[in-house]
Amino acid sequence: MSEGQIDEALRSELQRQGVWVTSMQELYNWGRKNSIWPLQFGLACCAIEMIATAASRYDIARFGGEIFRPSPRQADLMIVAGTVTKKMAPQIVRLYNQMPDPKYVISMGACAISGGPFKQGYNVLKGIDRYIPVDVYIPGCPPRPEALLHAFMELQRKIDSQKLTGAGKAEHLDAKQPSEFPVPAFGEHDLQPPANPDVYHPPVLERQS
Amino acid sequence: MESLEQIKNRAELAARGAKIDIVVNPGPAQQSSLLIDNEHAAAVAQFLRNHPALTFDYCSNATGVDWLDRVIKKTTKVKTVVDGVEKEVDQTIEEKIPGYLEAVYHLYSMKHKHGPLIIRMRTANRTDGARLPSLTPIWRSAELQEREIFDLYGIHFEGHPDLRRILMWDEFVDHPMRKDYREPDDYEWEPTPHDDVLEKAKQHYTPRPQLDGAENVTAQPQ
Amino acid sequence: MTPNPYLFIVIFVAVALAFPLLPLGLAWLWRRFFQPPKPGVQKNAIYECGVESIGEAQIQFRSQYYLYAIIFLIFDVEAIFLVPFAVAFTGLPVGAFIAILVFLLLLIEGLVWAWGKGCLNWAR
Repeated sequence: MSEGQIDEALRSELQRQGVWVTSMQELYNWGRKNSIWPLQFGLACCAIEMIATAASRYDIARFGGEIFRPSPRQADLMIVAGTVTKKMAPQIVRLYNQMPDPKYVISMGACAISGGPFKQGYNVLKGIDRYIPVDVYIPGCPPRPEALLHAFMELQRKIDSQKLTGAGKAEHLDAKQPSEFPVPAFGEHDLQPPANPDVYHPPVLERQS
Repeated sequence: MESLEQIKNRAELAARGAKIDIVVNPGPAQQSSLLIDNEHAAAVAQFLRNHPALTFDYCSNATGVDWLDRVIKKTTKVKTVVDGVEKEVDQTIEEKIPGYLEAVYHLYSMKHKHGPLIIRMRTANRTDGARLPSLTPIWRSAELQEREIFDLYGIHFEGHPDLRRILMWDEFVDHPMRKDYREPDDYEWEPTPHDDVLEKAKQHYTPRPQLDGAENVTAQPQ
Repeated sequence: MTPNPYLFIVIFVAVALAFPLLPLGLAWLWRRFFQPPKPGVQKNAIYECGVESIGEAQIQFRSQYYLYAIIFLIFDVEAIFLVPFAVAFTGLPVGAFIAILVFLLLLIEGLVWAWGKGCLNWAR
């Protein structure tokens, strides 16, 4: 049994006797994962699906995420919903930097992941993960509200598994992990730099030869 | 609406010295257009807007076209004397047409409910002579679209009240809709390569003849 | 035995103090032992809409505004006098009615004077 963990058998035995036992980490993560406040901003058509997810039929409030905050100071989650143009990318990175820790990013839809159908265009960023770390990717063009709910649940699972102490503790608890990322500047031909090498790890093409 | 010839003749009469050509569109749309010389463009536009029978009071669309340098081959039969005998020989003449940029305006009349009338203007060349008179003083709706043409094609509109980039940022120097524009090379591997993406991929990865097929490799000179 | 009536006020004050101080203290302890603060230039920026702010927030306002303040004050005082007058209007003698009319006339005259002098035009 690792440090800080409760013996499951002992816990269920105690629960049967009417004693409920928890740990600081579980309590902390339980509270965080059930009150994720997203940042209220949409970039393109994916935002319509995000609105539908927040409305009554799909009802993201069931998962504690209905409070869309119009200010980054009060938000925990950034849903990058739509095409990120190169002109918009610095603003998004700046918004992400202004969010307090802990903060998470869902990259929603093909455009936010990779540029999508506009990948070969001159004006669209080829994925927001070039500048900020992304926790959950949702494929789709646009993804259905169920997909966003699934991503939300995945994020809850990730938050639930984050550690409070120890070597692999959560990034926002680690003083060495950065909280701000450099904002790209408008260059003469492209954004400068075109990608942040600390964050962006492009897929490596495995070629058997 | 009157025919293009009638409009052309009237406009040439109204704007003294104006030289208007009819650019025939042989395609299925058959939307021919008027090519207006830059010097008298404002006068002709004024006439088209104000003449009571025409009243083109609404400019719905303004866009740019990029024409690269091209070569047209014309084959003609020429009589020449070969070995003392007169023969008809095919002679090919290569005509070089220097490139230019074009601005195209689609005009409608709200009053008479007719249109579109398409007018064009051509720049002298694609580099330092890429200048056209602005039609924004005549049709206010052309303001943002002329800014867009300036941004994406690099045509300077003289007389435009607020000529700045509109879609790209101010620090940008290229004109992305020009046909010789090359975007910055930030290739990344993707599973559905198009032809031009494949060409980029070859510059970033060493070719593998036994896996990719020999013809893909020999197509690129190494 | 009846409790001291001031006891409730003491309890009220204690709860009112504990209600904000307890979460703040917990947050301070959390920051001290678990979550290190990570301030930054952009994180602490004043403007929070993703756009860089231009210029200073402390700008000077024009002093012409004081004219409006004075005229507003005059009519504010007038309203204070007019409301009790209107309430007790029917029971007042004729002398009081004339007095309030004179008062109103003075203020209207002041407004006409200010208007005529161009004080109501917004000075640029």
